[in-house]
Amino acid sequence: MNTTLTTCPYCGTGCNFYLLHDDIGQLTGLEPAANHPVTRGQLCVKGWNAHAFVGHPDRLQTPLIRKNGQLQPTDWQTALDLLHDKLRTIATRQGPDSLMFLSSAKVSNEENYLLMKLARAGYGTNNIDHCARLCHSSTVTGLVETLGSGAMTNSLSCFAETDLIFVIGSNTTEQHPLIGSRILQAVQQGAQLIVADSRRIRLSQHADLHLRHQNGSDIALLNGMMRHISQEGLEDRTFITQRTENFSALQQALEPFTPEYVATITGLSSQQIMDAARLFAEADRAMIVYAMGITQHSHGVDNVRAVSNLALLTGNLGRPGTGINPLRGQNNVQGACDMGALPDVYTGYQRVADPQIREKFSAAWGVPLPETPGQMSTHAIEAAAAGKLCGMLVLGENPVVSDANQTLVYQAFEKLDFLAVIDIFMTETAQLADLVLPAACYAERDGTFTSTERRVQRGRKAVEPPGQARADWQIIAELLRRCGLKGDYTDPAEIMNEIASLTPSYGGIEYSRLEGEGLQWPCSDNTDPGTPILHTRTCTRGKGHFSPVTYRPPQEMPDLEFPLLLNTGRTAFHWHTGSMTRRSHLLDREERQAFVEINPTDAEKYQLAERQQLKVTSRRGSVSVRARLTERVPPGQVFIPFHFAESAANVLTNNALDPESGIPEFKVCAVRIEAC
Amino acid sequence: MTEERSLYNPKSCRILAVSDLTPQEKLFRLQLNDGSPLNHLPGQFVQISIPGLTEAPISIASSPTCADYFEIGVRKTGLLTNALHRLQPGAQIGIRGPFGRPFQLEALPGKQLLLLAGGCGLAPLRSLIQYCQNQPSVYASVHILYGARSPQDLLFKDELLHWKIIDHFSCQYTVDQNPSGSCYDGQTGLLTQLLDGVQIDTENCCAVLVGPPPMYRPIIRQLRSKGLVGPQQIMLSLERQMRCGVGKCGHCTIEHLSCCCDGPIFWLEEIEQLRGAL
Amino acid sequence: MLKQLDRADIDHLLDSLHTAYRLQIPQQLPDGTRHLSPYTPTSVLSLSGEIVHRKPTSFFFPQVQKLVSIDPTGHARDLQKVEKPLALFGLNRADLMGIQFLDRFFLAAPADDIYLSLRQDALLIGLTGFSGPDKSFLPLSTGNCDIELVALAGHWLALGHSTIGKKLLDPYARGLNSELEELRQRDENSSGDLELLQQASHLLMNDLVPDSFWAEIAGRCILCSGCNMVCPTCSCFCVQDRCFEETTERSRVWDSCQFDAFMREASGHNPLGTEALRTRRRIHHKLAADIERWGEPGCVACGRCDRSCPTGIGMMAVAGEIVKRYGAGRR
Repeated sequence: MNTTLTTCPYCGTGCNFYLLHDDIGQLTGLEPAANHPVTRGQLCVKGWNAHAFVGHPDRLQTPLIRKNGQLQPTDWQTALDLLHDKLRTIATRQGPDSLMFLSSAKVSNEENYLLMKLARAGYGTNNIDHCARLCHSSTVTGLVETLGSGAMTNSLSCFAETDLIFVIGSNTTEQHPLIGSRILQAVQQGAQLIVADSRRIRLSQHADLHLRHQNGSDIALLNGMMRHISQEGLEDRTFITQRTENFSALQQALEPFTPEYVATITGLSSQQIMDAARLFAEADRAMIVYAMGITQHSHGVDNVRAVSNLALLTGNLGRPGTGINPLRGQNNVQGACDMGALPDVYTGYQRVADPQIREKFSAAWGVPLPETPGQMSTHAIEAAAAGKLCGMLVLGENPVVSDANQTLVYQAFEKLDFLAVIDIFMTETAQLADLVLPAACYAERDGTFTSTERRVQRGRKAVEPPGQARADWQIIAELLRRCGLKGDYTDPAEIMNEIASLTPSYGGIEYSRLEGEGLQWPCSDNTDPGTPILHTRTCTRGKGHFSPVTYRPPQEMPDLEFPLLLNTGRTAFHWHTGSMTRRSHLLDREERQAFVEINPTDAEKYQLAERQQLKVTSRRGSVSVRARLTERVPPGQVFIPFHFAESAANVLTNNALDPESGIPEFKVCAVRIEAC
Repeated sequence: MTEERSLYNPKSCRILAVSDLTPQEKLFRLQLNDGSPLNHLPGQFVQISIPGLTEAPISIASSPTCADYFEIGVRKTGLLTNALHRLQPGAQIGIRGPFGRPFQLEALPGKQLLLLAGGCGLAPLRSLIQYCQNQPSVYASVHILYGARSPQDLLFKDELLHWKIIDHFSCQYTVDQNPSGSCYDGQTGLLTQLLDGVQIDTENCCAVLVGPPPMYRPIIRQLRSKGLVGPQQIMLSLERQMRCGVGKCGHCTIEHLSCCCDGPIFWLEEIEQLRGAL
Repeated sequence: MLKQLDRADIDHLLDSLHTAYRLQIPQQLPDGTRHLSPYTPTSVLSLSGEIVHRKPTSFFFPQVQKLVSIDPTGHARDLQKVEKPLALFGLNRADLMGIQFLDRFFLAAPADDIYLSLRQDALLIGLTGFSGPDKSFLPLSTGNCDIELVALAGHWLALGHSTIGKKLLDPYARGLNSELEELRQRDENSSGDLELLQQASHLLMNDLVPDSFWAEIAGRCILCSGCNMVCPTCSCFCVQDRCFEETTERSRVWDSCQFDAFMREASGHNPLGTEALRTRRRIHHKLAADIERWGEPGCVACGRCDRSCPTGIGMMAVAGEIVKRYGAGRR
C-alpha cells in the first residue's frame, strides 16, 4: 500500500493524513498523520471519509461544450480556445468589467493566485471573488479595520493554554470537529466555557454558561457584556491605554446597553448577561471563537467589530491562550483570501487602489492593471440578474446551491451570455454552463493550502485524475498563455516562488520549507520561522482600534404571515453543497435528505409529526423537507441545513447584504411551515 | 463455478409475476435462473440485490413445499424496495440466501399453534402457514390472528378467507382503524383484543409472533398472563438491518447475537434478557 | 528449535521473503508515523517504536474492499484472486491477538472468502521483546504467528511457531534458551491494561454500569468514528455499489456503530437510536458481548482508539472510568 501525505480537503482546521493507494492508482483508505501538530493521529468523520468521493463514477472526465442545448464531450484544445475566445470577446466588446471570475476556497493557493492574475492581467478586470464572500468577508473587513489583519489571531495550540473560551456563533464540534475537540479537552482540563448560540449544540452541554440569545442579537449581547465589564471596572486599563485607541467613543456607544435593555433584545435575562460579562472579564486568558453565527448577518461586519471590541477591552490579544479566533470554513478559504481572490486586493491584502502596489504587480506581470476595485460575488449575482454582466468563469464553486435566494441566482446565470465552470462533479451550477472543464481533485494534484491558523501546508498528488481531467493550475496556465502571459509553469512550487516574491506575508514560503509542519504567516523571508500569534507587541495596524457599533435588527424578522425564524447551516456529516460528501457512502447514508429541526412545542402548535414531509415557505420560495422534532432549536426557530440541492435551504434565505462586506443574511429570515 | 461462488456473489433470479397486496406492498414470484429450487425453510430470508442499490433483506413469504418458485412480500420503504416495486415480470434481480434460522418446525407437531402477525409480518408468517396448510393434521390446531392498520393495509386478503375454512385451522383478523366509507365489514380493534378471545391449551400451545417491534411487548405480556410461561412456548422473529446475511457485517447484532444467523427466529427465552432485543 | 538473528540476518530474511510475498515492514512515514509499508531493498526498517499506527488487520480487511462486480445483464463475477500472498513483519502481541480475533470472526462458518483470500497464505512475523518506544520491553506473543523475533540488546531470538516459519528459520544460528526464559519471566508483570479491561468487563457483564454513565460519555463523543476505524478487531462494514459504464462494483467499507444510520431502518425505527446506546454498544460489545460469544474480549489493548479519540473517550479511558466509579471494593 502506497502512502501520500496531504492536507484534508474539508474544513479550515488543516488536518493532515496519508492517502493510501494501491498499485493501480486507486485510493483504498486513509490514515491520520500521527505526529502532525494539528492532526495528532485524529480526524473527524469527514476526514476519515475524505478518500471516498475521489474515485466516484460521477467524476467529470472530459471537457463538455453545450451544443443544441446539450453538454457534449470535446477536446481540451477546442474547449480552451473557445473559453479564451469568449472571455476575450466579451472583454473587448462589452468591457472587461462585464466579466466575473469566481475562484474557489477548495483549490490551492497557487491556483487562486493564477486565477486572480488571469482576471486582472489577462482580461483586465478586478471582478474576482470567491466564497469567502459568503462566510468570512465580514471578518476580513471588520478585523482589518480594528487590528490590521483579517485572520485568526492565535493558534490552535492556544486552546491548551487558555482559562476561558467564549464560543459565539460556532457549532465547533460539528463544523471544525478537531477544534471542537480541543475546546472539550480544555474544559476537561479546567478551562471555563461560555457558549452563545440559540441552538443547543454539543458544546453547550459542557458550558458553564449557555446563552441562547435571539439570532441576530449578537451586538446587543456583546455591547451589554462590555458595558457591564466597564461598570464593574473589570476592563484591562493598561492594555487599553498602551495598545488601543478610540476608547471613549466605545464607552459612549455602550451607554444605552443596560442589562435590562439587552435582555429585551436578546431574550436572555439581565443576570445571564452580567454573569457572562463577569466570567469573561475575570479570566486571565480568554479566547473568543466565532464562525458563521457572527458573520452571516446583514450587520456581519458590525458583529465582528463588537467581538473585536470585547477582546481589546479585556486585553485578550497578542498572548497565548487569548485572541479573536474566527474559524475559517473551507480548507483553503484563508489562502484564497491571502491570494487576492477578492475584488479589492492582490495577494497579502495589498490594495488594488494603491498606485504603488498596482505598479509593483504591473511590473511583475508585464501588463497595465485595472484601477478600480471589482465587484463582490454577491453583487455580481445581482448585476447578472439585472443583465449587467455578460460572462462568468466559475472555478470549483456551486453558487446555485450555496448562495442566498436561489431564484435570483438562477435568473443571474440564465441572463449571462456565457458561463464556464471548472469542477470535479457535474454540480447544479455546472449543469447551467456553456462550457464545463473537468478538474483534478485534491488527491490528484500538488499545491498548498492555508488553514484557519494561517498555516501554509502542502497538498500532494497521490493518484492520477480520472480521464482527461487536469489540475486547475494547468487549466488556468493554458488561459494565461493564450492571454500572452507566462503560462509555462513547470509545477506549483514555481508558482509559489512568484507569489512569495510579490507578497510580504508569504515572502518566506517556499516548498522546501513546507515539508514538516508547514509555516504560519506572516513569514517574511526564508529565515522567518512564521508567526503563531499575531499582534503580540503592537497590532498589525499599530494601535488596536475600538470601533463602536450599535444594534440593528436583522432585515427580515418573523411576522404573522411568516411566523418562524429560519436559521441555516450545516450538519456534521456533509460539506456545503454536498457534491463530495453526498458521494461518500457513509456520510450520505447518515443524512440522505434534507430535514427541518423544529422544537416540539412548535410541532404541537402547528400539528406536525416526526418525519412528516413539510413545506417550508419564505417570501422567496418553498422547499419540501422532513420534520425532525428536537430541543436543539428553541421555540420559534427552525433550522435547515443547506447541503441538499433537491430541497435547497437557499431557496428560502434572504439575500439582504451587509452594506460593507456584501455577505448575505443566511442566519435569519422568516418562514412558515405546513404539511405537504 | 457455483461451488466456488463467493459468499457475497448474488445469483441471478427472474421475476415471474408481480401482484399488488396493498398500495404499499407487492408480492413478487421469483425463480432462480438455473431453475434450481431455493431450498429454504419457513422463516428464512434472502438478500435481494439490485446493481447500484446494493441489497436488502426480505423474508420469504412462500413455503418450500412449492419448489418451482418462491415469493417475497415487499413494502416500499427505502431506495431498493422502491426500485423493486418498479420492476415488471421478466426482470432480473440478484439473490443471495436463503439465510437465517427458520421457524423451529421440529417443535411444532402435535401442538396448538397460535400464529400472530402484525402489519407486514404476515408475509414471513405466510411461509409457515402454507407449510402447515400442507399437512394440517400434524398439528392439534392452527389459529391465525392478524392485525393491520386499516382495511387497505390487510395483506393476502383472499388467503385470509381461505385459511378460515381449512380443517384444524382458524383465522381471525382485525384493523386498528376503519375509516368511514370503507366497505370492510370485519373486526376493528387491536390484535390483543383478538387474542383475548382465544382459548389456550396452556400445556400444549406454541405461539409464533411476527410483527413490528412495538407489537411484541404487549402481546408477550398477554400470552404470559394466559399461561404461556414454559420454555419453547413463544417463538418470535426479530427484524434488524441485515446487510450481509452471514453474520459478518455487524448491522443486526443484539448484544452477542447476530440476528441474521442466530435468528431472525428466536425462542423468547433466548433473547428476553438481552438489552435492545424487544 | 530456538534461533538467533543479528541485524544482517534480518535483512537476509526480509530479502528472502520478498520474492515470494508482498512483504510489509514497519517504516517511518514523513511525519514520523510508524506504518507497515511495502518492502524495497532501500527501505529503512524500523525495529522499535510505537505500535504501527494503521492496524495490521487492514491488510486482510481494508477500509474499502471489493466484493463482486456485476455486469450490465446483472451477472455477478467473483473477483480475481491475488497472485502473491502477504507477509507482515513487526507485529506485536496485541496486533497478533487482533489478527487472531478477526480470523476467528471472519472464518467462523460461513467463512468469509474475501477475507480468506488475503489471509490464507499470509505470513505473520511478530516482533516482541525490546522493540517498543525507545527499545522498551514488549511482551512476547502467544505463538499465534509464523515467526517471532524477540529483540534483545544487539540480536534477536527467533521462534518458528509454524511449519513454514520453522523452515524459514532453518539457515540461522541457534539461540540461547536461557535468554528466552529470562524474558518470559519479565512478561508476567506486564499486563496492567488487560487487567483493567477484565475489571471493567466484569462490571459490564454484571450490569453494574448505569445508563447515565453512557449518556455522559456520549456527550463527549463528536462522532468522528475514529475508534472504530483504528480498532484491529472491529469488523463491521457497510456495502456500497458504484455504477461505472461497463460494470457495477460492489465493495464493503468500514462502518462504525457510532453512526445513527448504523442500525436505522428504512422506516426510521432504530434499535440503537440514541448516542448513549451507541456509546454503550461500542464498549459493551468488546468487553461483554464478545466474551459471551467468543470466550474472549474483543479488545486487545493495542491503545489505538485512545490515541485516535479527539475527546479522550477511547477504550482504556472509558474502562478506567468504569472501574474507578463502579468498581470500588470489587475484586
